[in-house]
Amino acid sequence: MHGWCGKILRVNLSRGKISNEALDPQVARDYIGARGFGIYYLRREVDPACDPLGPENKIVMAAGPLTGTAAPTGARYVVTTKSPLTGAITCSNSGGNFPAALKKSGHDAIIIEGRSAEPVYLWIDGDRAELRPAGHLWGKTTHETDDALRGETHAKAKTAVIGPAGEKLVLFAAIMNDRDRAAGRAGVGAVMGSKNLKAIVVRGESEVCLADPAAFKAANTKYREAFKAKTRDNPPPLRVHGTAITVVGTQSHGVFPTRNFQQGTFEGWESIYGETLTRKYLVRAKPCFSCPIACGRVTRIPDGPYQGEGEGPEYETVYALGSDCGVDDLAALTKANYECNELGLDTISMGSAIACAMELYEKGELKESEIGMPLPWGDGAALVKLTRMTAQREAFGNILAEGSRRLAARYGRPELAMVAKGLDFAGYDPRGEQGMGLAYATSPIGGSHMRGDPAYFELLGVPVPADPHTWEDKPPLVAKWQDLFSVIDAAGLCVFFSVRYLVEQNLMVKPVGITELLNGATGAGYSPEEVERAGERIFNAERLFLLAAGFTRQDDSLPPRITREPMPAGPAKGRVCRLEEMLVPYYKLRGWTSEGVPSQAKLKELGLLKEAQG
Amino acid sequence: MKVQIHTFANLRDYAPTGRGNFELSLAARATVAHVFAALRIPATVEAVILVNGRRADQTTPLAAGDEVTLFPPMEGG
Repeated sequence: MHGWCGKILRVNLSRGKISNEALDPQVARDYIGARGFGIYYLRREVDPACDPLGPENKIVMAAGPLTGTAAPTGARYVVTTKSPLTGAITCSNSGGNFPAALKKSGHDAIIIEGRSAEPVYLWIDGDRAELRPAGHLWGKTTHETDDALRGETHAKAKTAVIGPAGEKLVLFAAIMNDRDRAAGRAGVGAVMGSKNLKAIVVRGESEVCLADPAAFKAANTKYREAFKAKTRDNPPPLRVHGTAITVVGTQSHGVFPTRNFQQGTFEGWESIYGETLTRKYLVRAKPCFSCPIACGRVTRIPDGPYQGEGEGPEYETVYALGSDCGVDDLAALTKANYECNELGLDTISMGSAIACAMELYEKGELKESEIGMPLPWGDGAALVKLTRMTAQREAFGNILAEGSRRLAARYGRPELAMVAKGLDFAGYDPRGEQGMGLAYATSPIGGSHMRGDPAYFELLGVPVPADPHTWEDKPPLVAKWQDLFSVIDAAGLCVFFSVRYLVEQNLMVKPVGITELLNGATGAGYSPEEVERAGERIFNAERLFLLAAGFTRQDDSLPPRITREPMPAGPAKGRVCRLEEMLVPYYKLRGWTSEGVPSQAKLKELGLLKEAQG
Repeated sequence: MKVQIHTFANLRDYAPTGRGNFELSLAARATVAHVFAALRIPATVEAVILVNGRRADQTTPLAAGDEVTLFPPMEGG
């Protein structure tokens, strides 16, 4: 095969057995890769009703056909499993260099099953793979683990590891690769911890075999040149200031979540946004493999109580650990970000849980004696303390470790968890951004912005702007973008470049450039429509898993704060999210029943009918 | 009439004093296009335009006291 390696590595931890399997060429074509392979194998092999932290759950780590190639941003992999935080599917995505190394080792995916009796790590050196004891690494931070593993395997090896948070089954623990890149969402790190798997270490140095190198090179050159041409007069904001520059877009539209989504504008925003980060703490921009943008931030806090060095913060972290907690101390939230990276926590759910606790404290539901400290809005020192306590499940950290949904329910105020399907929202308040509300509510993993991000066209002007306040036009756009993001994730690309350069620059975002690159790499001869259909297939397959796990139409919902409490001030003042009005037409155009179930006709059209019945 | 301008990232390069937030005097019945002309922002430079927090474009009419926000299109967050 070309583009694809044609090989799946299966690792049974219960039996300590490792085997290779061939990748079915038809599955490769229909599901493209990465996120597509994740849902394909999860539906075939995992009972949707299983205990996410039990040995019957599996983890699929998969690269796409463009991962590890010279395609712009061909750096991504996806971790798919059943989430312990939500009980739904999760498919968490990360870049860096580990995914390219996985692909260059000759594997499209690793399927991890069972549970090891003792801590182990998986060492993949090209086409050889073995499990090794990891007792000496248990309890170590992600950075310590990365250092140790590269020391005992190979200096050029790349790692994906869990920190103490994953070991202690914190429900939003992340898998950290290349030290500071995160497959962060919905507790993939806890699933790895439940299997006693500390790390995966890969050395891969083979070139990905391309079907038509000349066609691939032509497409690659064309889109890289388009990037260069545009950026001549328009320096990429994400390269110059990192994703934290996005605060400008959310604050100016009045959708920058503040104090657990009680407000949509934050008075301290200028202290924590991208340009301030650049001025105060930026050391250098850091790209992932094959990326021309370089949005990653290497930062250093030179002195003071939060002195340290690491990567971040990203926009989502600035929201979750910043405005959402009322914190305008950039050093404190950056330090808490470093802690999350080293302990292996999702910064979004960590910040969201603290914000929820702060509101419970404000409302008198949660007492200082229960937390062990006062917890007023804006307490930067508390962020750092609570992050450490959560990773170790120490005292009140043990409650935060269960996430904001369980926290709010525990104190009798479930409506104060800002979640969809139990997954904490990203940094966009849907009251001033209607499409985001529909995207959160219908995302198969819950409140993520990365399942068809309407912020691009509603807030950020890419590829062209649309009105964030209208809701009537959003159902078809959200569906189209959800399918597009499925394609981008499946191909092994990053949305940052893809949405700007590899799709037609209108709201219907036909994936023309992605198709050219896929065809050059795989020789599959896809049409853009066929690629779009693969994205729709992946999205519907994820929906089927979700429904089989017990989720219903009632779970396509948002908290009452978002749908009933009008935004109190700012550009979105007086607005609520019109979710119910959007859901009905959305289901219809998706070919789903009024209960949100894909119709038999739709399943047949997508080739999912047999699989659904089987 | 006077309007308030807020510029960010590379759009700040066109602010007269280098400060992102400033006041600009315009003729009565000016539009956003007059702001671009006054700041000498080249046609090749892309910008997301908000007037008083609402999406706008070059043709949007301005009134005294309006707040105009200009920032580059962003690849995501």
